[in-house]
Amino acid sequence: MEVEAFITVLLSASLRASIPMLLAALGEAYNEKGGILNLGIEGMMLGGAFSGFAVALITGSVFLGFMTGVAVGAISGLIFAYLSVTLKLDQIITGIGFTILMVGLTGFLYRYFYGRNFPTLGVSKKTLAIPFLSKIPVIGPVLFDQHVVVYLTLLLIPLLHWILFHTTFGLNIRAVGETPGAADAAGVNVAQIRYLVAVFAGAMAGLGGAFLSLGNLSLFVPGETQGIGYIAIAMAMLGKWSPYRVFIGAWLFGMVESLAVGLQIIAVPVQPEFILMLPYVGVIVAMVFLARNARLPAKLMLPYERGER
Amino acid sequence: MNEMGWTERLRPYISLMFAIIASFTVGAFLLWILGINPLRAYQVLFEAGLGKLGITQTLIKMTPLLMISAGLMIVLSAGIWNLGEDGQFLIGAILVGVAAPIINAYLPKIPALLILGMIGFLGGAAWAIIPAVLRIWYGLNEIITTIMTDYLAIYLTSWLVKGPFRDPSVIPPQTPVIPLVRRIPQIWGGVHIGLIIGVVAVLGVHFLMRNSTIGWKILVVGKSIKTAVHTGIPVARLSMMAFLLSAGFAGLAGANGVLGVKGLFQGDWNPAYGFTAFALVYMARFKGGTVIFLAYFFSFLLLGGQMMSLRLGTPVFFVTILEGLMLIFFVVNEYLFQHVLERRRS
Amino acid sequence: MKTQLRINQPDLKGEGTGSPSNQEALVQMRGITKRFPGVVANDGIDLDLYPGEIHSLLGENGAGKTTLLNILSGIHQPDEGTISVRNEVVHFKSPHDALEHGIGTVYQHFALVPNLSVAENVILGLNTAWILDLKGAERRIQRTMEKFGLTIDPHLQVQYLSLGQQQRVEIVKVLFRKPKILLLDEPTSVLTPSEVGELFRMVKQLRAEGVGVVFITHKLHEVLELSDRITILRNGQRIGAVTPEELANQTHEEISNHIVQLMFGGVPEEETEGTYAPRVSEEIVLTLEGITILDSQGVAAVRNLSLELRAGEILGIAGVGGSGQKELLEAIAGQLPVAQGNIRLGERLGEIDLTNKGVPFAMKMGIAYITDDRIGEGIITDLSVAENSVIRRIDKRPMSRWMLLRWQAIFDFANSLIGAFDIKVPSPQILAGTLSGGNIQKLLLARELSADPTVLMCNQPTHGLDVKTAQFVWKTLREQASMGAAILLISSDLDELLKLSNRVGVMYNGELLEVLSIEAADRETVGRLMLGERS
Repeated sequence: MEVEAFITVLLSASLRASIPMLLAALGEAYNEKGGILNLGIEGMMLGGAFSGFAVALITGSVFLGFMTGVAVGAISGLIFAYLSVTLKLDQIITGIGFTILMVGLTGFLYRYFYGRNFPTLGVSKKTLAIPFLSKIPVIGPVLFDQHVVVYLTLLLIPLLHWILFHTTFGLNIRAVGETPGAADAAGVNVAQIRYLVAVFAGAMAGLGGAFLSLGNLSLFVPGETQGIGYIAIAMAMLGKWSPYRVFIGAWLFGMVESLAVGLQIIAVPVQPEFILMLPYVGVIVAMVFLARNARLPAKLMLPYERGER
Repeated sequence: MNEMGWTERLRPYISLMFAIIASFTVGAFLLWILGINPLRAYQVLFEAGLGKLGITQTLIKMTPLLMISAGLMIVLSAGIWNLGEDGQFLIGAILVGVAAPIINAYLPKIPALLILGMIGFLGGAAWAIIPAVLRIWYGLNEIITTIMTDYLAIYLTSWLVKGPFRDPSVIPPQTPVIPLVRRIPQIWGGVHIGLIIGVVAVLGVHFLMRNSTIGWKILVVGKSIKTAVHTGIPVARLSMMAFLLSAGFAGLAGANGVLGVKGLFQGDWNPAYGFTAFALVYMARFKGGTVIFLAYFFSFLLLGGQMMSLRLGTPVFFVTILEGLMLIFFVVNEYLFQHVLERRRS
Repeated sequence: MKTQLRINQPDLKGEGTGSPSNQEALVQMRGITKRFPGVVANDGIDLDLYPGEIHSLLGENGAGKTTLLNILSGIHQPDEGTISVRNEVVHFKSPHDALEHGIGTVYQHFALVPNLSVAENVILGLNTAWILDLKGAERRIQRTMEKFGLTIDPHLQVQYLSLGQQQRVEIVKVLFRKPKILLLDEPTSVLTPSEVGELFRMVKQLRAEGVGVVFITHKLHEVLELSDRITILRNGQRIGAVTPEELANQTHEEISNHIVQLMFGGVPEEETEGTYAPRVSEEIVLTLEGITILDSQGVAAVRNLSLELRAGEILGIAGVGGSGQKELLEAIAGQLPVAQGNIRLGERLGEIDLTNKGVPFAMKMGIAYITDDRIGEGIITDLSVAENSVIRRIDKRPMSRWMLLRWQAIFDFANSLIGAFDIKVPSPQILAGTLSGGNIQKLLLARELSADPTVLMCNQPTHGLDVKTAQFVWKTLREQASMGAAILLISSDLDELLKLSNRVGVMYNGELLEVLSIEAADRETVGRLMLGERS
């Protein structure tokens, strides 16, 4: 096997494999910057994955499937925002409750409706090659012969970076997570900003989940996310909430995952579990080195109570 | 030891009661939408746990939950979010699965069981050392690191049991089967001594957290690290102790799973008790009696869920839905209760 | 001082301050009542503010000044009463609404985002355009600062600024929005006297432009220097006012007597100084030799500091907040490590090295420390008074035996402290968090003194307390000293320091500049040293 071809396949497969986590991590980065830690991300991804899959299966439209995934994620995010911002409930407990609920709900509905025949979506050509650009060696197939959602994600990265650091809205988010009291005193609507980031994070998790079942696998299995949601939370922290750094981390993670699959295909005698555990080792090691001097947003996980500081 | 009004005292119980009622109501609604008679379904759900078989099965199921809960009662009181119970459970379990044949070859039954229990406990505790050190000396948030160690343990144990630790004499990936006579002694129809250990652990933790100097100091650390530092309470040492004890109890639960129930460690085994134990300890507000009640209740539901699945074709995930709803409703109820009280006061 | 009073004469104020009565009021607050759980913070307060005047709110800590101001700035909503701004009745739901009405506030605890730049902090919440124009903002900030003679680099991150500089950022932030009404909550408490001068010049400039200023302080001389009108609050009520006419026509002396009468009237006069005769012995109890303490960022919070503390003396340490006083106490108590130098205890029993031995060892050696952060660090709010009272001695008999707590002994101990220190609490089983500030301080005093300390350290021992409790604290400290304890006292209240201490040291930027005998320590000398000017 040629080295160039191997690298091309690895890069392109790993980019695609990283998309679900990357989307969730980008949403979570905004969330955490705004002072919300949502452990329910894992559950919301499952919600997006299942609902997207079910709708695509029923309607035959992958597009509708994606839209449903986003909607389910956004609604979950809205409920989470209501519980954590308006009712000021403990974010960790609420997040865990959400994940338990979603694991149960998606597993229940899937088994109830599809438990006997394990349907898959018809495999169609999923990539959209961009003329000319996709012919460039290595870079072409990696960046310009991909699923539409991959393009969308790649475009989102600079956009999200720009919004966070170069707009008033982004400034408000950064202030609200760090010192909500100061933001409030300056006339920023703290609750509104937190609602927006929570709904956005939910929608991104839903989209990421939907990509898992619609873009990557064409099928749903209970517990499909396998902890991707939690890794997304870790990625957002490791990337210090910068969309670019989150992207790099997510791609590296996707690379290890593809490597596990790739080495099996070319029959290298190594247990896939051994390779699959490497990313977690990687995350922990990276946390030791990168996160040691990284401060979390000061008011992460803390509800804002006016008049307290 | 403090004085509270009776409404304050009853508050968590009332919240819990309403949480259970609310989640069952939502569950009934879901069943009704799907065209299943909720009353019939709940009848099946509740009947499963009755009778001798139902009760013994429930007691067997609740044993690991009790052990993990005992650990969570300590660590959550210390203000530490150890969410890595599943990983610590698996590491304890696989070490016991591997060590059992070796130790059984040299020692009589009871000392062997004691040592294997110890191995499970220490294995679980060892698995928490990295997140504990990161949290206590480097201030790194333990929520994410412990969840990461969960997944790491899932893949690690699964790799070990398919590779280095595999029993070559059988086809499925697993550790050697422990003969029935070398397992934890039974007391009643499959219920073994593990249950007693679990109950004693929960009640003991409950008592010691409130009445021993060390437990009380852990409580102080959990309530205010600043005050603990100021008053000379060794925060790092106690946090470490709480963290490792909780992980140890999870490892002990793993030992219990191998020595009491399964007799071996199997590939891709992950019973995932962690979040369930977490939910019930939180809803029990760290109170031993309530923890035991809820552990029983959750196991009872799980059994009923399995029965529902057999008889009505509703997937067992139904019980997971109830669990998630209960936890969310519980926090919402606590909020409502507090605000109703506050409004009445002013 | 006499000349400063002249400033209040209308003719020296420039335009805009004629007789307020024929002008339209900027703000009218009527019958404002605000209740918090257990307290009535504001009880039917009226307040008027006219354009081009400085209206001071004077009162002790806890009198309700900050609550009233927070109501006007939209942080709190009043339970009763009305607010009108320019004759329009308003209901502020948030600070945003108040800002919309031209009300700018400099809060006592700054409302700045530490990891944002000065410029970002200033434009935060303006939401003028979707896209951040930092360059343009910086230019406009520069212009605002030039107008008021301020300098600060708009690129700097706020967390690296000194408290005085942060105050300046707060002011720029408010001025940037061109407020018609400016609220200042104890703006001088973190400032050096020269910074205070700068602030006052600016406030006067704004007054000349017709801005109405509400100024909160508990320092009488500042009030007399600035005010056109004074309102005095006590226990949440408006108990008196000084009108511009009175300010113009009475002497400094008369007004200040009047105000003191209103603020403190009815409170029993402190017993005469005569009952307390300091008996400082020659015995050195505590020796610090060249100690350097690093803060969490590795910057020296205390530099090469040496001092000796004698039995029976009260050594007061003055200094602008954040000069390293707290770190000094924490290091002696064993809470913070010392990077260099050593701390030694006693002569009597031979010297004992205390350096970096940790809190339990320091406690055992008779060091007691009463923290300024009473609620956050001193007590645990949701444990009982009894548990809080034994927190330092839980391992000792009779509180525990065989590592098990003995509740009866704990309650008995708590009851004895409650009796001895007159702590107002119905039962030792009550949660400590429900106690009033004064009773919490008594609980802390009781807990620390129950160990019979040889060295007692206090940080802001009377801050925020009512006069009666403050006097109780003073009396207790003097008793301790006369019984032979060595006391290290830190306070931002210079009067308190000068009243209690036998010697006064001044810290500036982590250094102990000088230790003066009480005879040599007058307000002016100490004040100059606090600014870092060595004599």
